[in-house]
Amino acid sequence: MNNVLNRMRWQYFTLRNPYLFSLLLLVLAMLVNLFFQPDLLSRGSLNSNMRVFLPLVLVTAGQAVVILGGGIDISVGSIVSIVNAILATQLGSNASPEKIALMLGAVLLVGMAAGAINGFFISYLRLQPIITTYATSFLYAGVALFILPSPGGAVPNGISSFYRETTPLGLPLTLYVIPLILIAWYLLRQTRYGGYLYAVGGKADAAYETAVPVNAVQFSTYVISGLMAAFGGIAITLLTGSGSATIGADITLTSITAVVIGGTALRGGVGGVAGAVLGAITLGLFKNIISFANVNLWWQTFVNAAIIVVALAAPGAINLLRRTIGSRTRQHPTTGQERQA
Amino acid sequence: MSVSLSARNVVKRYGGVVALSDANLDVHSGEVVALIGANGSGKSTLSKIINGVVVLDGGQLLLDDKPVHFSSPQTAKQMGIATVFQELSLIPQMTVSENIWLTREPLRGGLVDHKNVRLRTEELVALFEGTHKFSLHPDSTVDALPPDEKQIIEVLKALSSDPRLIILDEATASLDSRQVQRLFELVASWKQQGKAVVFVSHRMEEIFRIADRFSVLRNGKTVGAGLMKEITERELVGLMVEKATATSVVQRQRQVLKKNGDQKIRLEVHDLRTDLLKGVDLQLRDGELLGIGGLKGQGQRDLLLALFGDLPYTGSVVVSGEAVHFKLPRQAIEKGIALVPGERAKEGLLYIRSILENLMLPSWAKFGIPLHIGKARQAASEVSNELQLIMAGLEEPVSSLSGGNAQKVVIGKWLLRNPKLLLLDDPTKGVDVGTKAEFYRLLARLCDNGTAILFYSSDDEELLGLCDRVLVMHDGVIRSELSGESLTKSNLIAASLGASNASLHEDPSSAAGHTYERRDADESSTAAPGPAGAGETDPPSESME
Repeated sequence: MNNVLNRMRWQYFTLRNPYLFSLLLLVLAMLVNLFFQPDLLSRGSLNSNMRVFLPLVLVTAGQAVVILGGGIDISVGSIVSIVNAILATQLGSNASPEKIALMLGAVLLVGMAAGAINGFFISYLRLQPIITTYATSFLYAGVALFILPSPGGAVPNGISSFYRETTPLGLPLTLYVIPLILIAWYLLRQTRYGGYLYAVGGKADAAYETAVPVNAVQFSTYVISGLMAAFGGIAITLLTGSGSATIGADITLTSITAVVIGGTALRGGVGGVAGAVLGAITLGLFKNIISFANVNLWWQTFVNAAIIVVALAAPGAINLLRRTIGSRTRQHPTTGQERQA
Repeated sequence: MSVSLSARNVVKRYGGVVALSDANLDVHSGEVVALIGANGSGKSTLSKIINGVVVLDGGQLLLDDKPVHFSSPQTAKQMGIATVFQELSLIPQMTVSENIWLTREPLRGGLVDHKNVRLRTEELVALFEGTHKFSLHPDSTVDALPPDEKQIIEVLKALSSDPRLIILDEATASLDSRQVQRLFELVASWKQQGKAVVFVSHRMEEIFRIADRFSVLRNGKTVGAGLMKEITERELVGLMVEKATATSVVQRQRQVLKKNGDQKIRLEVHDLRTDLLKGVDLQLRDGELLGIGGLKGQGQRDLLLALFGDLPYTGSVVVSGEAVHFKLPRQAIEKGIALVPGERAKEGLLYIRSILENLMLPSWAKFGIPLHIGKARQAASEVSNELQLIMAGLEEPVSSLSGGNAQKVVIGKWLLRNPKLLLLDDPTKGVDVGTKAEFYRLLARLCDNGTAILFYSSDDEELLGLCDRVLVMHDGVIRSELSGESLTKSNLIAASLGASNASLHEDPSSAAGHTYERRDADESSTAAPGPAGAGETDPPSESME
């Protein structure tokens, strides 16, 4: 009985606090970063860091919604690229404010449309999410290349510097976006839709039998992910001020890693967007640390990857440790279910 | 509140398999209708049609005398139909209150009103107060709860929508007697409120306790309906059993199998326990085909998995005269044990890999380093000939095979290792009739060659046709052992429902003249009173209890 109680407590704990580990990791990354870069929290470096992190944070938030719903979106990077290509070619350096607003609206729609295509294949035609979005990632990458065959293009200086240099109340503009994402997520979580998301990701059959509109929920997660990728594309365009059809290529797997580091299970139904945002910032800090630690260039990828692997393995290692210590519970070798020995 | 629901001539096919051919059900306000039938008679399918999870292929549903079409569970739910599912519809990672209120969360200003949710959850949980070990906390994660509490949550979840019609699909299976009592009190109050209840159950005692009317399904057809007070248990079982049993496929092959009293004991199990098993004893000799029967989920799967080292257990297991305690399937395989698992696509085969690879998987070590592919292919084609495998070639993926042929591959992969003990977990599920017959011949041949086979089947006909001895499991123990004369279909069904050896013997469908009361005169009755047809004074053969 004790055993059962223990289990209840532990599961209760980890399910209720899925962000705890990512928060710890974030604090750790920050401390190490402070060691290498003592002025990390100064206005200048905060600003320069946050504007670099923001695209990933936005994309990761969308990715987290998809993964929570039991899917995965490999096409987010290509959507970022499309958005970047459209903005860089359509705006030029002298676009009028009206045109800017119009184009920003248009790229958000493009992102949602790309997500809707993914969602249609996955939720209504029942195709595998990973394969479908892998395939559409090439499709979207192709569209981006078609729009912008070689790197170039530009956006008006005004909006670019607005993104980079505005500091309302002394804090960088980009820093305000994060609480906005978190508030939006908190509100979403409080709606019925929020519950549906966890239900569909947790056990789609049971959700269906409970009259949850499973297909619609799955579909919507990809639309949200497409929208967030479009926001990410806007951010990255404002950051770089120019266009490249492959600019988003790296962001896909990084966003998935950030989601996992943030405590969201890849099988869906456990975790949340807040943790994913923390995870994205943590990954950004890792990159910072490496560049400040003066490691050889060819070591950088290695160290970065090693840190990620360790971060990913840590929860598993903690679990293993817990099981070994608590030898009264035994793990079923194939199903992973705990059984009383 | 008033409601009436009728299902008329409902037909449902899954591919070529007819699950329901002519199912009928009527249920009205203020009554409990028991939906009864043997394994695979279509009870679950019919209840899933009523609640919209499955869409019917023919026939009609009438709700309040108007035809309705349920294209999804949402539609049925809006009409006030709720279900307590046998395989629970709870989301493991979500909390008790989130699960109960999913899709109907009380809102305030568009957002979920957590305070209200919590309050109303506590009200609901209070209905079962005092019947569970741990206090059911609204914020507990469902995953961490024991089965009975999950079942209670499932009941509360159905109740939370204040439905007009409630389907209880084996809702009592994991509840203890106190919880069942509480549930039945609730059912009584629902009746008073004018709700209608469909009670799907295997437990005769409970059916007689709460049902007002019954409807019996047999092979997807409604074969009888009426008032509970006008029928006896024995007559009900008689309705469930087919009178002219179709043994055309399962020819009484057991004559082929030689008597094996003098064979040596291959497997001896004593007091085997897992989470589900509560002490199983059995003995299996070489060349014997020992059947395991009973309702689904009474621990048969656990028994086979434990013997194969795939599930932690306590108790003693003696294989070929040697005491063993397997922790891994590999150890069991080394002792000549083979398992044909229940879900062949998931557990038994590498579906997208070739037939050759699947056949060779447990035996690659025999073919040396580097592998003698030629020899392996030779061996594989011999096995596939022996199995009469219908295939385009050994290189074809297993997924290209029909269900029956795929199952032959699962067995075939063990044949190369000459298993001494074969464990079969419902091997003919989803296998076509022709292949079944070949499959039975294969089993008979293996037995003749001295292989000991432990054969769980959900198909009673198979057990009757193939086995000399059948152990019927109920609630984690072997409730009765049927052999020889006592191995009849009605005994098998009665034993599945929880009757012990003592109260079984004669086929009730042929014993219409016997009076029901004779059971009370049966002095030799030792254990739990059997619900189904008793009335025979022969002493019990041997009880495994």
